[in-house]
Amino acid sequence: MPQKAASQSLVPWLLQRITGLFLAFFLVTHLNVHHLFHDITVEGIISFALVQERLTASFWWQVYYFLFVPMVVYHALNGIWEIIADFRVSTGWSFLFKAMFWILGIVLIVVAAITLSNLF
Amino acid sequence: MKFSEKLKGTAQDVNLNRNIGNFSFWLHRITGIGLSIYLVMHIFVLSSAIGGPESFDKRMGQVQNPFFAVLEVLLIAGVFLHMLNGLRITITDFFAWSRGHKTLFWIITVIFIAVMILTLVLQWPKFFMENYTGGGN
Repeated sequence: MPQKAASQSLVPWLLQRITGLFLAFFLVTHLNVHHLFHDITVEGIISFALVQERLTASFWWQVYYFLFVPMVVYHALNGIWEIIADFRVSTGWSFLFKAMFWILGIVLIVVAAITLSNLF
Repeated sequence: MKFSEKLKGTAQDVNLNRNIGNFSFWLHRITGIGLSIYLVMHIFVLSSAIGGPESFDKRMGQVQNPFFAVLEVLLIAGVFLHMLNGLRITITDFFAWSRGHKTLFWIITVIFIAVMILTLVLQWPKFFMENYTGGGN
């Protein structure tokens, strides 16, 4: 049975690299602020009020999450797609997966945007 | 070729190529899948904020305890393994330095160990339930 080459086009490959580099910066910042340097003995458990206080501390957090969320969603879903593509799936499955990931990606970004708009 | 045969071929490939490149390739895929699953859960848990402060605090209260603090260490390990290895791949590719990929692997291993020691120090108070009572918020 002839198989489809497990190739991917240049643009998604490059976008995966570029978003990856941005994510290295975004994740170190995000983890430091919300996970690692969250001192439970001083700040207590994470609550709505605490997150709101952190996010409204600077206007730049809005810019930050506006860029971060779409990039991380793209990077995650495109990454999973690359793994699936490596298994040389048929054209039908390929279409199904792509459609599924596009829908999931848009849903995730919209849900995250509504969530953030409630916290800002 | 059936999917099961493809998986079998993959397993054989791993077994035949026991080297740093292959190891980090699989490490990148496994952490990538794990982090993607976490991302979906993370957005889902935080979306409780849409229901207002009460629903957010209730949901966040369920995921803040020593058990999740230990899982969080695994998450951070996954993030940094994927991040450092991703940077290694990018440097190897963009600077045509494939001869140095093994050296880079050991450099990122050292950075990873340092990051994880810092992570454990910072996470330490979250491993004890008594630290979750009280709090400023």
